[in-house]
Amino acid sequence: MKLLFTFLLSITFLFAADATLEINKKIDAYSSFGVEDSSTQRSDLSKKFYRSLVADINVLSLFNVDKHYFTSDFDSNSINVENKKLNYVLKFDLISNDNQSLLIKIKLMELGEVRLDKSYKISKSKMYVFVAHAIASDINDHFGAPSVDWMKGKIILSRLTKPGNSQILVTDYSLTYQHVIINGGLNVFPKWANKEQSAFYFTALDTLRPTLFKVDVRSGNKTKVVDSDGMMICSDVNSDGSKLLLTMAPDDQPDIYLYDVNSQTKERLTSYSGIDVSGQFMEDETIAFVSNRLGYPNIFSKKIGSSAVEQLVYYGKSNASCSAHNEYIVYKARESSNAFSRNTFNLHLISTKTDFIRRLTATGLNEFPRFSHDGDAILFIKNYKQQSSIGIIRLKHNKNFLFPLRVGKIQSMDW
Amino acid sequence: MKKIILSTTVLALLLFTGCGSAPTIDETQENATDANAQDANANNSETIASDETVIDENSNANADSNEMTMSGLEGKMQTVTFEFDKFKVQANQVEKVEANVELAQGDANTYMIKLEGNCDEWGSDEYNYALGLKRAKTIKQTMISKGVNASRITMVSYGESNPTCTDKSESCWSNNRRVDFKLLP
Repeated sequence: MKLLFTFLLSITFLFAADATLEINKKIDAYSSFGVEDSSTQRSDLSKKFYRSLVADINVLSLFNVDKHYFTSDFDSNSINVENKKLNYVLKFDLISNDNQSLLIKIKLMELGEVRLDKSYKISKSKMYVFVAHAIASDINDHFGAPSVDWMKGKIILSRLTKPGNSQILVTDYSLTYQHVIINGGLNVFPKWANKEQSAFYFTALDTLRPTLFKVDVRSGNKTKVVDSDGMMICSDVNSDGSKLLLTMAPDDQPDIYLYDVNSQTKERLTSYSGIDVSGQFMEDETIAFVSNRLGYPNIFSKKIGSSAVEQLVYYGKSNASCSAHNEYIVYKARESSNAFSRNTFNLHLISTKTDFIRRLTATGLNEFPRFSHDGDAILFIKNYKQQSSIGIIRLKHNKNFLFPLRVGKIQSMDW
Repeated sequence: MKKIILSTTVLALLLFTGCGSAPTIDETQENATDANAQDANANNSETIASDETVIDENSNANADSNEMTMSGLEGKMQTVTFEFDKFKVQANQVEKVEANVELAQGDANTYMIKLEGNCDEWGSDEYNYALGLKRAKTIKQTMISKGVNASRITMVSYGESNPTCTDKSESCWSNNRRVDFKLLP
């Protein structure tokens, strides 16, 4: 069964090699998958854990996930009779300790046999959702699907709580876990400083001049990096964390600068008299950025050190933000432009190596797209009917998932 | 004065081990945790650590008499509004700019002037912040042309993050596309 599954999966991803090509017909029948709460002491927490696990397995986009809550005994290898028809059943045993730590054991069952057997421990029970994400990632790896390591990472986001006031939060991708790391002030555009997520940058706007700070997550040290009149935003961090793309306006003019973290020097990369913002690192010493040099915001690229600028996007009336991963660029396009009616912003995907455009969203205000480090998924902000949500797009699976924020409006985020 | 409270808490250590065993973790030593994971000889072991900090940036402002005067003058400064997606000063807003210049050159001539550019709710990206900055810059250039010393003027863009109202209405969105005039000592 697993061999057949892996073969079908390989065929699917082979034909999905170009992410701009939309996959409309995939494997006709996914394998069925169920989750059983086999905890000795079933509780509200074990039910929450069940829901998180089911949601995560669903996001893997590899199975038809059964969402009925069933229980069973963990120590025996039998599964609940209601799940006998399923191809795979994941049993978990969640054990709470007095010191708030959790021990979670799992067994992945197929045809009465144990295919995967593992234990997980977490010191704080309130972070249980990260264990669910790790289990889902392990199951994904077990079936040989492309990595979903992004599931296990943390999101950092700025939430507007009231006019002129914000919080910076660390969350998981589903917003189940939320930790306010900076409270008060007007702090926006948080950005992880490295892949390890041990530090982050953010812009403070309630200082005399907009100022970029760096916070070491472990020590809590907050250090000033650089400030600028008018605007100061860290738009992107390179893969080893040594270079930043900043939007600054030292001469009242928003332009893109390359900042060297080690030498603390900066180099101006654009000098257009209008608006140049949102620099994004691409491959081959090239950056993508947003500029209004055609009279409206659109996506352009240029080689670092060269004065030549190339237009990347030819579709969309107003394309005001983008994210790049290798040759792929996801950008936000305004579908309507009216001061006094609902506006629609959708996300589109292009490749610098083909002419295809793939539309990724259909309704609402979709913005702030950000590729995962491996390019497997795109994180974005969706505002629709007074609700602010984090969206996840699984590019190779052509599936979108939304995770609403209960309080406040998401200003920006990074992962 | 900013009040910063730092408190560091180790929030989580995850240890993934092979079947049947979950090694004890010393939560205070990450390296030791890695070593434990290896010692366990697990089929699949992995450690994830997360240390998180809380920084409280709520401020307590103490107003003295000078600040009260400044606040009173600042209250006389008029907000200038803009058209959708534009940063050119409209004809019906010119009088407000001129009145603010007169105040800046008169009773408020000892203060710095901070121009705060703002946008409506349509967009949270950098471009929106740049649009707010261009609005502030338009006002700055007008003020300079009317005699205000450039060194007295600073600018910031708040994008959509500092609205005067949050209704879903034409007038609300219109009021949020604005430049506010603030005074600094």
